[in-house]
Amino acid sequence: MGAPDSKLVLPLAALFIAFFVAPLFVLLMLSLHDEVAMTSWTLGNYISFFTDRFSYSILIDTLLLGAKATLVCFIFGFPVAWLAARASARWQSILLFLVILPILTSVVVRTFSWIVILGRYGVLNQIMLALGLSREPLRLLYTEVGVVMVLAQVQMPLMVLPILSVLAKMDPNLPDASRALGAGEWRTLWKITLPLSIPGIVAGCILTYAASVTAFVTQSLIGGARLIYMPLDIYQQAVGANNWPYAAALSIIFMVSVMAVVAVLNAIGRKSETHGLG
Amino acid sequence: MRTTIARRHLLRSAGALGLALAGPRLALAEAKTLVAATFPGTWSEADRNVILPAFKQKTGAVATQSIILGGDQVSRLAAAKGNQPPFDVAFFDSPQVIDAVRDGLIVEYPVAKSPNFKELLPSAQDKWGPKITMQVIGIGYNPNKITTPPMSWDDLLDPKYKGRVGLTALNSQLGIAFLVEVNRLKGGTDDNFDPAFKFLAQLLPNVGAIAANLGAYATLWQQEQVDIAPYNFNFVQTLKAKDVPVELSIPSSGAVGWSTSLHLVTNAAEPELAVQYIDLHLDASIQDQLMKPPYDAIPTNAHVKLEGAITKSLVKSQDDLAKIRTIDWEKINPQRSALIDRFNREIKT
Repeated sequence: MGAPDSKLVLPLAALFIAFFVAPLFVLLMLSLHDEVAMTSWTLGNYISFFTDRFSYSILIDTLLLGAKATLVCFIFGFPVAWLAARASARWQSILLFLVILPILTSVVVRTFSWIVILGRYGVLNQIMLALGLSREPLRLLYTEVGVVMVLAQVQMPLMVLPILSVLAKMDPNLPDASRALGAGEWRTLWKITLPLSIPGIVAGCILTYAASVTAFVTQSLIGGARLIYMPLDIYQQAVGANNWPYAAALSIIFMVSVMAVVAVLNAIGRKSETHGLG
Repeated sequence: MRTTIARRHLLRSAGALGLALAGPRLALAEAKTLVAATFPGTWSEADRNVILPAFKQKTGAVATQSIILGGDQVSRLAAAKGNQPPFDVAFFDSPQVIDAVRDGLIVEYPVAKSPNFKELLPSAQDKWGPKITMQVIGIGYNPNKITTPPMSWDDLLDPKYKGRVGLTALNSQLGIAFLVEVNRLKGGTDDNFDPAFKFLAQLLPNVGAIAANLGAYATLWQQEQVDIAPYNFNFVQTLKAKDVPVELSIPSSGAVGWSTSLHLVTNAAEPELAVQYIDLHLDASIQDQLMKPPYDAIPTNAHVKLEGAITKSLVKSQDDLAKIRTIDWEKINPQRSALIDRFNREIKT
């Protein structure tokens, strides 16, 4: 990149340094002290986190929640993207609109409508009861199953759009060739379409994962206080308990953990681009 | 998939956005603007519908609401310490007053400039800022499911309420007040919360849901996810006004509550206006108006005659109000972090 080009990045870089890197640095500094005045250095916050089973189990639960939500999102999202890629232009725009619809409403509105759907007398339970699938209303609200369902729906566009953009660019001759050589639809999907869409899948998984683990509103409104995930823990430590340094340490630990997961996903994506999936 | 956005269109939208963002600033330049914090829910509505028009009429100035919880206000004031604070008037529950005074976030209330101050009940005349109302907790219940009003906190343990009891996390005053009261009744002290946590452990099999915040707590009632739970007089009144089946019963062990007060923030941009704004909340006719539905705010001005829902489910007279048990927040505040932590460990599934 020549010098004139790189200058174009300067405004964004300045913005990024002033409003992201600098606060992050303050956060890191704060996490290494035991009070807001930041007089004496300590690793106490980190030590107490990693030596306390309850604390790190919250981190593990959160990372697993992201994995579950991402998996469900992929299972439902991939077919949607696949259908959309093969649909006529008209149907493609209808499908896309339906996929994007959730991000056009506020997350709070979306989450509250899910409360109405999942509640004891909610839409889902009424259908289950009316169909005789269950005699008692199911407990969905305030359970992890409920949280995963809602996260998967809410983050769906983040999964579908990257996969769709890869599938749409795929050379249509490849599946045709596969079929011409005698492979069935499933074999073509497994051997040609899926491996070629890995970059989109990885991008979709990274976006969905990062958005799911940090979804404070959805996690706390659908999950309630008994399912504690990192964002709620950080909020409670900062605002409820006024323990800012510990909340800062939690934030750093959480951020590094999510970055590690994203790095692993990225590595998988890069490997598949050079070698295929096997 | 092709997305092309015309450059002109984008510029036009960006321009409109810029104007919209600059809007409040432009308005600021015209007249003096007071920024006053208020609680989400009933109080933000009361302030918007009753106080703001009266304030405009009295001073000619405009007041903008900043709708945030007390704990968040303390955090924001602390973060802005030394600079101009984000709002001029703070709206606190009792526990936050202690924190704010300790950290120098509010100044002593200029009583001399506030004509209505001396009309307040003696207990409401706090030098750090007048108490404008009280929050009282009791047992909330769904009258369609529970026909005899529960008269004891022990009723929550009744096996027939298995899965039907609600609780709220300890980041709200309601959660803490409930824990403190149960602790007292079970023989605990402010230094020993073991009895409260023993009660909690007994209660957990009955607990169907623990809300992470008060907004989610209200939803539990609206969705009839719970039938019985500790609740607060004003929240019950708000839900009742929306036809949610909920009533409040004060247990025979007595009502527990805390006050809500207004404060002049340190380095406030508009201290004069702030005091005038606060003083309006103390005015007898305004408190009388706020005592009526849909606000149902318990008055603190001695000249207001109690009536309506307050006299039905809480107290008969101003004397009774003074008898409502309060909580020693000086003792509780330093333990808040430890209590929240212990509570979270006990309840985690």
